[in-house]
Amino acid sequence: MISHSSRPSPRRLAAIVLGAAMVLLRGGSLTAQDVDPLSKLDPSSKFTVQLLIDSAETAKLPASALMSKALEGIYKKIDSRKIVEVVRKELALLREARQALGPVSDEELKAGADVLWAGGKPQQLAAFRIRQKGRNDLEAFVVWADLITRGVSSEDASSAITKLWQDGADDATFHSLWSAIQTDISSGLNPGAALQNRIRETPGRVPPKITPPEGPQENTSSR
Amino acid sequence: MNEQKVAIFTLCAALLVPAPRELAAQLVSKVEASQYTVSEGGLPVTALRFAPTVQFELPHATFSARGSAFLSEQSLQLADGIVSGTFTSPTVYGVHAEMIGNASRAVDERSLGTDQVDVQTRVHMNFREHAGMWFGGGVARPWRVGVVSSADVTDAGAWTKFGSATSSFGSATITATFTNFSFTKVASVHDSGSASLSCASSAPATGAADVTLRAYFSESATSSACERQSRFNDLETSMHWEVGFIEVNAATGYRFGDSYDVTPDSRRWTTAAATIWLNDRIAIVGGGGRQPALPLRGLPARSYGMAGLEFAPWPISKGAVPVSLPHSVLVKSFEHKQAPAGLQKIIIHVGGVESVEVMGDFSDWSPLVVARKGRDLWELSIPMSPGSHQINVRVDGGQWMAPPGIPVMHDSFGGDVGLLVVRPVAGEPIR
Repeated sequence: MISHSSRPSPRRLAAIVLGAAMVLLRGGSLTAQDVDPLSKLDPSSKFTVQLLIDSAETAKLPASALMSKALEGIYKKIDSRKIVEVVRKELALLREARQALGPVSDEELKAGADVLWAGGKPQQLAAFRIRQKGRNDLEAFVVWADLITRGVSSEDASSAITKLWQDGADDATFHSLWSAIQTDISSGLNPGAALQNRIRETPGRVPPKITPPEGPQENTSSR
Repeated sequence: MNEQKVAIFTLCAALLVPAPRELAAQLVSKVEASQYTVSEGGLPVTALRFAPTVQFELPHATFSARGSAFLSEQSLQLADGIVSGTFTSPTVYGVHAEMIGNASRAVDERSLGTDQVDVQTRVHMNFREHAGMWFGGGVARPWRVGVVSSADVTDAGAWTKFGSATSSFGSATITATFTNFSFTKVASVHDSGSASLSCASSAPATGAADVTLRAYFSESATSSACERQSRFNDLETSMHWEVGFIEVNAATGYRFGDSYDVTPDSRRWTTAAATIWLNDRIAIVGGGGRQPALPLRGLPARSYGMAGLEFAPWPISKGAVPVSLPHSVLVKSFEHKQAPAGLQKIIIHVGGVESVEVMGDFSDWSPLVVARKGRDLWELSIPMSPGSHQINVRVDGGQWMAPPGIPVMHDSFGGDVGLLVVRPVAGEPIR
């Protein structure tokens, strides 16, 4: 009789198992939530980075770009103060890119900020403010940033890329320009000379019909 | 011998034919053509040596075939050939098992030729990919060696690796191996005139009387043969060093055993060889040293020297050196393309390394391990939203660098990053 009363009923056993599972699952999710990617920064730097991210969100700028810069620094084992400096500069460049480009997608804004990082100037970026509807400038910006990084002067890179853009060049044209320049550089040509040679060979296009932007757009992915 | 000549030449020719890319990714092959000088105490014999090697790698199995043939005075002679299969279990807590099977033929002018089949199993323990040890055992069954029975082979060893492919010192692996051979020698009591072993004639030429020599053997019940339980142990240390376009292999060893089982010329040996890669397909090879006798095969100890060229129809990775230097261009190529289910497939070609990782804004800068898919082929499929992404790659835990073949820019921290543009699938906007 005693042994019967002390044995848990199947229903009770199921409740115990379910309860234990819930505790374990809850514990797991709490653990996942508790991992703060910025926790490797010193407290003061972490606070500053969070303030900068809040500022970006308030200004409807892509805060994910700032978080990405912070994480890049953390995984590359960079000093906290340097990381804060970089995140602050990224916010400033995103603001300048927004001012120069107007209402564009977050990805284009980030690519524009990359051009500014590389050494481009906001007034050069402004040439991309007016665009054909549905056209994006990612490939142009990526090639632009690469050219400056490889030693082409900001002015030369800007005028070449802007001219191609205004001539209606598509992504494939920008990419093949980049590939051709790489080939020339690999064979020993100066990057600036390689750009001048290749830009002459790039076929001209009929300028597309340009439509002005249709008022401010909301950046849906801004946090 | 005609079939053997045909086999060697066919293998050499086959190695020069390009294979489909997917197959070539698993294949390691080379042909060595060298001038070979062998001395066995008498006058040196010089011959041109052809040595083809082919190896096919699968995730848990490796199959290989190699051989060599000598061309001297217009006659081609097969020297040796071996076909091997190795099966490896998955690694659990750094431990894995290995089963090795070999079938080989060795030809010597005097003993005409011997065949051998051997099977071995080993248990390996690895410590963080930089050191390890193993122990194992197996059986070797020689054929056409009338005087030796099956041999029990047990071995154990340890290895450690220093440096990495990307460091200026390169990488070096040092291995120490202890191998025990235990077998029965069978000799005829009366037939001392034939080529086979006899109780009286087979002992070392010490000048002792036959009665004393007979003490080496115990006569069998038939009184027509006598037997001896033989045993010897080899202790060998070897080193493999790769730096830049140079590979060096060296080994030295000592054989323990009594004077009947180990002849004086097989007590100690040292060999060394160097390979200098002119590009990733052609290398200059040279080396020499002394090899101990192989009693199970009936082959005597010999000194040798060689110099020649090695041709690798497809670039060699594991155990060889990627020639592309400096280290920033160690990664030979980098591609990314659309994969099913909205993934991007990253394809990297880099040879002679142990690990490849990528990281970027798409992974929140957390390193992702790229899976090895072939001897120099590495692949990873990851979700990446349409837009521009920054990416870094590193090999063997070295410096993060921008992958080749895509636009780059300086990162904000003193290095470089690659820039990837992921185009949207039709109808999907870039946000």
